[in-house]
Amino acid sequence: MEEKILEILEEHCEEALDYDGDNMMEDGVIDSFTVINVVSDLEEEFDIEIDAKYVVAENFRNKEAIIALVQKLLEE
Amino acid sequence: MQLISYSFVILWAVCFALYYLVPGKVQPYILLGASLVFYGIGLRGFPLGLLLTGVTTYGCGRYLGQKLEQEKAQLKQCADRESKKAVKAAFQSRRKRVQILYFAFNLCLLAFYKYAVVSIPVIEKLIGSHAGFLEKIIMPLGISFYTLTAISYVVDAGRENCAVETNFLKVLLFLSYFPAVTQGPFHRFAPMKEQFDREHVFQYDRMIRGIQRFVWGAFKKLVIADRIGIFVDQVYGVEVFSVPGSILACATALYMLQLYADFSGYIDMAAGVSETFDIMLPDNFKRPYFARSVAEFWRRWHITLGTWFKDYVMFSFVMSEAGRKITKACKNKWNGMGRQVTPVIGTMLVWFFTGIWHGRTVSYMLWGIYYGLLMSLSLILEPCYAAWKTKLHIKEGRIWSLFGMIRTWMIVFLADVLIRSKDLEQAGAIYLSFLTRFSFGSLLTSEITSYGLSKYDLMLLIAAFFVWLSVSLVEERGTDVREALSKCPGLVRWVCYYGVVLTLLITGIYGGGYDTAVFLYQSF
Repeated sequence: MEEKILEILEEHCEEALDYDGDNMMEDGVIDSFTVINVVSDLEEEFDIEIDAKYVVAENFRNKEAIIALVQKLLEE
Repeated sequence: MQLISYSFVILWAVCFALYYLVPGKVQPYILLGASLVFYGIGLRGFPLGLLLTGVTTYGCGRYLGQKLEQEKAQLKQCADRESKKAVKAAFQSRRKRVQILYFAFNLCLLAFYKYAVVSIPVIEKLIGSHAGFLEKIIMPLGISFYTLTAISYVVDAGRENCAVETNFLKVLLFLSYFPAVTQGPFHRFAPMKEQFDREHVFQYDRMIRGIQRFVWGAFKKLVIADRIGIFVDQVYGVEVFSVPGSILACATALYMLQLYADFSGYIDMAAGVSETFDIMLPDNFKRPYFARSVAEFWRRWHITLGTWFKDYVMFSFVMSEAGRKITKACKNKWNGMGRQVTPVIGTMLVWFFTGIWHGRTVSYMLWGIYYGLLMSLSLILEPCYAAWKTKLHIKEGRIWSLFGMIRTWMIVFLADVLIRSKDLEQAGAIYLSFLTRFSFGSLLTSEITSYGLSKYDLMLLIAAFFVWLSVSLVEERGTDVREALSKCPGLVRWVCYYGVVLTLLITGIYGGGYDTAVFLYQSF
């Protein structure tokens, strides 16, 4: 699963893979358009629905947070 | 009540003294009391709008909280995924219905207050009222700000991104918090609640940092923004064809700085006042004129408004049922390009609303559409843009950054003509003047100083601008100027303090009774 998420991130925003900070959105690494595309691919790949309430800076602060979000949604 | 006025300083001092004298549990009520006094003095009539928004926000929040609790209780009793899904859908639909009612009511209230001003004479004539009666209930202070702040709380409560507040007075404090109520920044409920609920003890360093930020904001407002305003008002106030195009261009470029100095000055003052109460407001500016693209500019300018529209309009639309359907259909039809359709629609919606939120004229609508189109184009052309850069062997570097910055200034420059002109006709004439009546000769000092600014004002403005630029450059490198200042020897520190305060007192532009001119963003 992690590998697939990193692949999706790589396709839309390579910088996100090397980012080691704590707020990708605020630091301009990932913009809202990219977030939308990443969300759309994650939904398709893992057959999950990522509601708007999950699309917050906290869940997209770095690649680990995105992996944790998908994991949480898969467990629900 | 302006932030730079005797009455405000008295209110601030009294509130500050009481705040640190009372126990932690009472502190939020001291802030609420000060907010209501600030609001009452600032408003010329009864704060009906604020109370209506406060009551409905509190009520809607409580309803959402109750329904979420009930949903959780019922979910525990569900045995399979299907029944869980059904329970979730049923509760979601109930919450959505109440939220829609809430949004409709408060947005209608905002529209009524914001747009009714132009209809006052007509309404008064219709109901046969005395002139001025309706004006008393018109235009509650900061309605554009507290309405959006209230909506953010209700959405966050429904999304479980913040706890539901059970104390009405704290909801009222969140909406009317006096440093931020007139022009923002747009704070969010979760971080503010955490700070309002915490006990705050007096810290000398915190107070000094707050006062430093307040004084710095006042410097930008009084020494820079209001001084530029003299020139800009004169140039934009006369017949367009009596002014050379180059002077109009100069006035527009200075207006860009005026707007920034004025608004960021206000935010610094508001954040400074708040910091003395140990309540941190969110950042609203990050040196926007250093941005290398228009998208980056809007990530640095009025950040809290941008994130508000992104979180509550853009993402809500894209992740909605309608948004998902559009995405799916377009992806199937056009594949790669198709996936950009929903974000483009979302972007256009965001910028259309941003435009009409700022003002009620066609110019603001066009201003919003202009940025919406630019943002959408940058999204669509992004892959081509990257390919061109590779093809033309363009490498990221200082020259490329400078080019990006100049390009951004030009884009903002053209947009600012629209919002500074009194109407579209004037804006059109100004654009024409840039092309047909531009002469560098008229930019000589003698010509510039014939529009209200003396040579002394001009020199002072240039000096103040360089002080501001130096501070911005230091901050851009990641240095906290106030922190650095606190580490300087006492003599250097006090020379800086006295320098800024004396400059403010001697060279600030004051109105009658030492009340400053109105802040530009207050009219939005």
